[in-house]
Amino acid sequence: MVLEQEIPRFASWIGPAVLQYLTAAAVATVVAAMLTWLAQAIGNGPLAGGDRVYRGVLAGLADILATSPRRVWALARLAIQESLRRNVLVVLAMFALILLFAGWFLDPASVDPRRLYVGFILAATNLLVCLVTLVLAVFSLPADIKSRAIQTVTTKPVHTGEIVLGRILGFATVGTCLLAIMGLAGWAFVVRSVSHGHVLEAADVFDVTNGEGAVSGAEGRTSLDRGRRHRVELDGRGGGVAETAHGHRHRGTVTGTTAAGERTYAVGAPLGLLEARRPLRGKLRFLDREGRPSIKGISVGAEWSYRQYIEGGSAAAAIWTFEGVSPERFPEGLPLEMIVRVFRTYQGNIEDGIHGTIQVRNPTSSLRSESLPIVAREHSIDSLLIPRRINTVMADGSLREVDLFADLASDGRIEVWLQCLEPAQYYGVAQADFYLRAGDGSFAVNYAKSCLGIWYSMLICTALGVMFSTFLSGPVALVAAIATLLVGQFRDFIARLFTSQVTGDSSIVPGGGPIESLYRIVTQTSITLELDPTPAVQVMKVLDTVLLAPMRLAASIFPSLASLGTSDFVAGGFDIPGDLLAAHGAEAAGYALACFIAGVFCLKARELAS
Amino acid sequence: MTQATNRSAPRRDASDVVVETRNLSKVYRDFWGRSKKTALKPLDLDVRRGEIFGLLGPNGAGKTTTLKLLLGLIFPTSGEALVFGRAATDVSKNERIGYLPEESYLYKFLDAEETLDFYGRLFGLDPEERRQRAATLIEMVGLTRDRKRQLREYSKGMTRRIGVAQALINDPELVILDEPTSGLDPIGTREMKDLIIDLKARGKTVIMCSHLLADVEDVCDRIAVLHQGELKELGRVEDLLRVTGVTQIRATGLSPAAAAEVKAVLQRHGAGDIDIGNPRTTLEDLFLEVVRDTEARPGRRARRTETAAQRAE
Repeated sequence: MVLEQEIPRFASWIGPAVLQYLTAAAVATVVAAMLTWLAQAIGNGPLAGGDRVYRGVLAGLADILATSPRRVWALARLAIQESLRRNVLVVLAMFALILLFAGWFLDPASVDPRRLYVGFILAATNLLVCLVTLVLAVFSLPADIKSRAIQTVTTKPVHTGEIVLGRILGFATVGTCLLAIMGLAGWAFVVRSVSHGHVLEAADVFDVTNGEGAVSGAEGRTSLDRGRRHRVELDGRGGGVAETAHGHRHRGTVTGTTAAGERTYAVGAPLGLLEARRPLRGKLRFLDREGRPSIKGISVGAEWSYRQYIEGGSAAAAIWTFEGVSPERFPEGLPLEMIVRVFRTYQGNIEDGIHGTIQVRNPTSSLRSESLPIVAREHSIDSLLIPRRINTVMADGSLREVDLFADLASDGRIEVWLQCLEPAQYYGVAQADFYLRAGDGSFAVNYAKSCLGIWYSMLICTALGVMFSTFLSGPVALVAAIATLLVGQFRDFIARLFTSQVTGDSSIVPGGGPIESLYRIVTQTSITLELDPTPAVQVMKVLDTVLLAPMRLAASIFPSLASLGTSDFVAGGFDIPGDLLAAHGAEAAGYALACFIAGVFCLKARELAS
Repeated sequence: MTQATNRSAPRRDASDVVVETRNLSKVYRDFWGRSKKTALKPLDLDVRRGEIFGLLGPNGAGKTTTLKLLLGLIFPTSGEALVFGRAATDVSKNERIGYLPEESYLYKFLDAEETLDFYGRLFGLDPEERRQRAATLIEMVGLTRDRKRQLREYSKGMTRRIGVAQALINDPELVILDEPTSGLDPIGTREMKDLIIDLKARGKTVIMCSHLLADVEDVCDRIAVLHQGELKELGRVEDLLRVTGVTQIRATGLSPAAAAEVKAVLQRHGAGDIDIGNPRTTLEDLFLEVVRDTEARPGRRARRTETAAQRAE
């Protein structure tokens, strides 16, 4: 899976982040108060306007502090009843329909069925839950205001904050229930869809003899199921593991012998399909083709620079330094798992893969192990257990067996070197591509964690919808919420575009801002072509910068639901780190709180019966 | 803060004045802040504890605007409205208020029990109390058989009744009724008026607005007449309706000869515009009489003439 940024420890940043959040909130409050004062001052004069703003802010804060959990729950119940009476449960039928079509059209024989099924089901769940709660949230309050039912609520001892919070809580509860049902159904669907078995017939198994002619084991092929079969090697005791294919393998055993003297076999459930690996990741650095340290590898022309490439048949190497390595943690040796991408300058035999080596080195003494051969194949995670006792290469070229942790590790640090052996071929790697498998979590728990990520998105959608509905009509609030989420979705791009515009470095984002882009579309000018710096072009670029500034500000504030998604972890078979979940939880809570407070002030400033 | 605190602090709560407005006015403005309509010109009013106060006026007179200002549903352009000595925008005053809006704006997806349960929760009533009050009020407004039906299935009269029930769920000290008899048939109208009088008997203060003059006349102690957002009259109903300079004589069992004699006596004493004849009943009384008689003697034509006339006398 792709992990572009390291996941920092939650405790290491939450303190400063909260401080930054409060500062941003204070700035936003001051700006909002200034704008309100300006609007009030026009109609009522500066002093009266200031007095109104001052009293409004105090009343809003007092309103929030007076929030009663009982009334909030009463209003939340009302929101739940409203959702149920509006047949919100129909969405479950839609989800069932999606599962039905997924069962028909998703191909269980695909290269990576786990990614296919998990990715699809979690995406469908995310979309449905977020969309339903967003629609419920944006239309509820405007409908109450339009039907004037809100008047019978606000004439009770109900604070504005309770109305806003009650709705957020109510619709979030509805979303939670929907998510729980969809999550369970989706998990059962994925498990049932990817689970399969094979049959190993006696006719497909042949004895294997050793050098002395004695039978040392057996070898064969399983039946073809779900579009795949596995090569099986059984040892002399009748047990063995099938070769990994499509990301999983099976355990095979001899179960007995028939009356006719034929052996019978059993093939176990798939291993490695529904897993949640807990990786220990290291830091990556490179050596160039002359063996000199380099910040990054070679770019092979791909637009995305996530993976860097090392040249085969040269001194180029990718080196990971792992920390916290100890015999207590890895008693069997280092369970190295790797994803190595290949860039071929000539095709060769595409089935063979590209050969390379792995070495383990002591980062302090530079003592290195012998080269362990690997064959890189696209689209699969290769594993290699580096044993506790391993040969090292001495200065004279001789080999000496040493202890992995005692001799090749230094203060728990150890280096793993990857080199490509084939000239004119390249290995592509990223920091997250090599890791030590430090343990395994439960797939079901991991799936639930991913649903928690969807819950965060749902909470933001609900809070955002309710916030917009406090001062906009239903359809307009829906458009505003979707626009906010879309800007948030492209916040990284907008940030890069703004940087590109301000610095004048068109290599960051070629093509310029909105006006320049429009000009290029109309005149059919390529985005790679620099425009002549005529006065008109200069004016256009200035206008673009002016337009992009508020977009940049909005992009830094608006939420990005995509960044909260963790389905890639589950689909890739990796455990979702607790630090990541906590970070996403803090982000969702921050947005929900901001939406709640903004909603209170917007609704409080509104005449609900005018 | 000082100003805000002073505004919401109890003021004159111990006195008899439940509601007071001082220079209260409302101008509706458009998006650009331009004056669109002056709904209420500066208004000074006091409503005292235990009285039924009527706001009377034609459509657009400012009656409902006044009520909305008292309830804090809209903000005054100038002046202030105090309820129980607190600013109208102070939410805590609502603990002691029951409000029936003009068209019972309720949640149509709830049934009667759920409606009262919901509003009871907003007042923080405990479950047993909510259940008891809901049952009592549903029975009082005659919706026991329909208590499980969603409000969207209710007729206008039934919606009005459940609206009244929600207004009384907190046993309020002040009941504000906006056009309380709107949409009710004559029986419902009479029951509503009886209810208003009963509320007064239980020590409640009632403020109602209506453009139905007979309703106001029947139940109100004091009225304020509004027209085009301006207060035109304010006082006790009996004082405002008393016609000075005219003497009314009512008698039963008077023969035509005796009536002529009375007329002659009056003429001798210089009386002018003498009118002697049978008084008229009201259409409401006539209708109620017919309905009661029909219910007492199903399938037979109502006997009204004598009874109605007697009642009128």
